[in-house]
Amino acid sequence: MARRVRRSGLTMPINTPRFVDRSWTRNCDFLNFDFEDSVPQSQKEYARTLVSHAIEQGLKGGAEITLRINCSYPEADIPAAALPGLSQINFPKAETAEQIRNMDRLITEAERRQGIRPGTIRIGTAIETTLGVANSYEIASASPRIDAFSGGTGYDMSMDMGVEMFVGFDQFVYNRGEGALVAMALGLEYHGSVYMPDTTGDVGNTELTRQRAEANRKAGLRSGSGLHPNTVEPQNIGLTPTPEEVQEAKRILEYFAQLDERSEVEGELDGRTVDKYEAARAAELLEWSELCAQKDAKKAKAQAQARELEAQGNVPS
Amino acid sequence: MKPFVRRSHLIVSALDEMQVNTSWTHHADAVVLDLTDSVPEVDKPRARDGVKAAIPVASRGGAEVFVHINKPLAAADIEASVWPGLNGIVFTGAETATDVEDIAATLETFERSRGIANGVLHMIVMLDSGKGVWNIREIINASPRVCSIGLDEGNLCRHLGIVPNAAFDPFVYAKGRLVIESRAAKRQPVGISHPYGLFPQFDDAEEIHRLALKGKNTGFAGVMCPHPSWVEPCNRALTPTEERLEFYRETRRLFAEGIAKGTAAIPYPGTTMMIDVPVDERARITLEMWERCAARDAEKAEALKRAQAPL
Repeated sequence: MARRVRRSGLTMPINTPRFVDRSWTRNCDFLNFDFEDSVPQSQKEYARTLVSHAIEQGLKGGAEITLRINCSYPEADIPAAALPGLSQINFPKAETAEQIRNMDRLITEAERRQGIRPGTIRIGTAIETTLGVANSYEIASASPRIDAFSGGTGYDMSMDMGVEMFVGFDQFVYNRGEGALVAMALGLEYHGSVYMPDTTGDVGNTELTRQRAEANRKAGLRSGSGLHPNTVEPQNIGLTPTPEEVQEAKRILEYFAQLDERSEVEGELDGRTVDKYEAARAAELLEWSELCAQKDAKKAKAQAQARELEAQGNVPS
Repeated sequence: MKPFVRRSHLIVSALDEMQVNTSWTHHADAVVLDLTDSVPEVDKPRARDGVKAAIPVASRGGAEVFVHINKPLAAADIEASVWPGLNGIVFTGAETATDVEDIAATLETFERSRGIANGVLHMIVMLDSGKGVWNIREIINASPRVCSIGLDEGNLCRHLGIVPNAAFDPFVYAKGRLVIESRAAKRQPVGISHPYGLFPQFDDAEEIHRLALKGKNTGFAGVMCPHPSWVEPCNRALTPTEERLEFYRETRRLFAEGIAKGTAAIPYPGTTMMIDVPVDERARITLEMWERCAARDAEKAEALKRAQAPL
């Protein structure tokens, strides 16, 4: 499966036109249109009619389009969500493997009906309850459509654990560990985040977002997400390797190639040990840097086109 | 299992008359009459003989009463403990589902012979081995009587060859697993934050409160209290604070208003906070928890008043 670049993403209610219609201008790597908690019960049905418009809006910015369904209504939500242009359906509060297998069946059916290449639409699972953490391995291995996994943190999890949200230490340390182990054991991308003290709960804090993104990058983590437009740029920048890091990675690889020519397996470069693990890390960083550059180019091109159309007054209703 | 409020479990030696006779005066949600480590082997029979009379004494302040039984002496300890007024037993050292099933079967036998309704006696299971922590899911689900699960940190250290050190918590993983598995099965994890699980102190109420509160924020719902000085700070730490109640009521009001207008994401005035379903849900849960705590406290206050009234 091709590796995806998902440094930044915004989750927004699909029934709020002022968010959806400007979503392409946010420069996100992905967008997550919501059927779930940000949509009131009375508008669930209406929300299901808005998907093709939302996909069209989001694609104008070159973002990958994902959609969060309700865990209680997969039968109604998935056929409405699985339209051409959608790359992933997110299942919140995942608790059992059976929920995911059911989801996979519904997506397979919808892909057939819509003429979408089988296997295109991936499944994202959000672990948000203690039962979900307990069943992590079964959930993460329930469908080949899953390519990433993360540990259960966040608001719903905190409620189920009976803990407060912003307490100055990591209440979710076990959950993060479990998620990381499951992801690695199954060969999935670990979409986790390092813990950073935050006692505010401010979802639009640019500086904190930047610090967290940089800490994640340095820990080898690659993904982000958010609720507030302020979080997008700090994550795009913070999760992209810096030119210095790219330079350093190239030097390490060159040096390792020289070692290899001399039939040596490790050596020292500027007081730092270089071996196959360091070389693999450097190679991953270069690959990631290249993927980020491709993604940035794709987004820039799409947004330039959309702006031009808008300037010509060619705005879809 | 019906929701219950059991913030503090005050442990007293079943052998120590003074401790037993004052156990009801400390406002504990539960009193645990200990037949294990605080009772020397030779005194076990004498301690057992005292349990029946101790139960109504321990409950005079409205506390629920438990007996901490010895795993190898379970049959005799349970026989001595199952009398009307008992709420359940504490049992340390479960390693498999079978351990729990055996105890549950013995409890059932004595419920029947002593005229106690079937299935009412709870089991608080304390884990003290690597095997027990690893098998926690089967242990919890072995019986609907299992209401709470905790770690016996001292014995767990001994069995794992860990030399306890106040500077770091050896059981970050074990506690995480305990909280997740207990909550996933809708049972109560009990415990306090490091280092008081291994190095309990009795004279600093604020520190007890701080570590109980930190324990609450790792997911614990109750504390095993080795000393009466723990009861008040633990009760306080595990009860929602009054000053947050107004905030939660306002959250619920604003969210209901938003829903009526067709939106489920409402900004909280004066903050960057958004109120959505989970935020509203937390407000509901916290308010309900506060009400349950208040009801429990009123119940205990009433019992205490009756106990202190002149005859």
